[in-house]
Amino acid sequence: MNEYEIRELCEVFFDAYQDGRVDVLDRVLADDCIIWHNVFGRETTRDENLARYPDSYVGQRRRTYNDRIVNTFHDGFVIQYTLNGVMHTGHKGALWICIVAQCRDGKITRIDEYMDSSKFAAWMGGPR
Amino acid sequence: MSAVDTRHRRLCHTLFDAIEQGDIAAVDACYAPEMTMWFNVTGQTSTREENLAALTTGKGLHRRRTYNDRQIRTFDDGFIAQYTCHVVAHNGAQVALSACLVAEVHDDKIVKLFEYLDSGKFGARR
Repeated sequence: MNEYEIRELCEVFFDAYQDGRVDVLDRVLADDCIIWHNVFGRETTRDENLARYPDSYVGQRRRTYNDRIVNTFHDGFVIQYTLNGVMHTGHKGALWICIVAQCRDGKITRIDEYMDSSKFAAWMGGPR
Repeated sequence: MSAVDTRHRRLCHTLFDAIEQGDIAAVDACYAPEMTMWFNVTGQTSTREENLAALTTGKGLHRRRTYNDRQIRTFDDGFIAQYTCHVVAHNGAQVALSACLVAEVHDDKIVKLFEYLDSGKFGARR
């Protein structure tokens, strides 16, 4: 994949996450894709991740993936972004996240996600 | 592997080795004068001088800090390092933090650093 194809894949992936397009996520994640989160320190499979997608929206009215800074390397990309959320209470929260992704044949094969769990309460509008 | 890739990788290792060894002069040599660092835990951007001062202060806070499992990838004007920071406190307690550093590099000097880690793990000692 060249740089433009990798950037396009990155944008498609994040737009799909933002718009709740599980069908698109299903298409751009390789069958053997692994997702690792620094907060949990463990890997999940593509199917586990897709199955949990609806639950990840609980309590939230809207989520947008903004301020995307994308850099590519020969077999993947790194994206730094702000996840802005609006809760059903009207509370607005933001999380700063960095994802390193590996890509092959037009699909994402691995995602490593870095964020700060100490911001979760403020994100949801709970006690800070 | 291109020359730029090799230089960026070397710069990344030089930075981590220097921090590990508490060699602040060597860290300074990796930075451009206008270097800034943004940290996801504080959401703040610090200057080169502030960063060097924090590293100097931080040297004595722990018995040992090592930057392991370095996975480095490079792009034209920077690099990404995914690593595990192993901290050994003076009382022997240990903690491992999985972190990611994104660096912007110009003329073989780091001009911007972005660090992402989970501060919720700070107290997770064993």
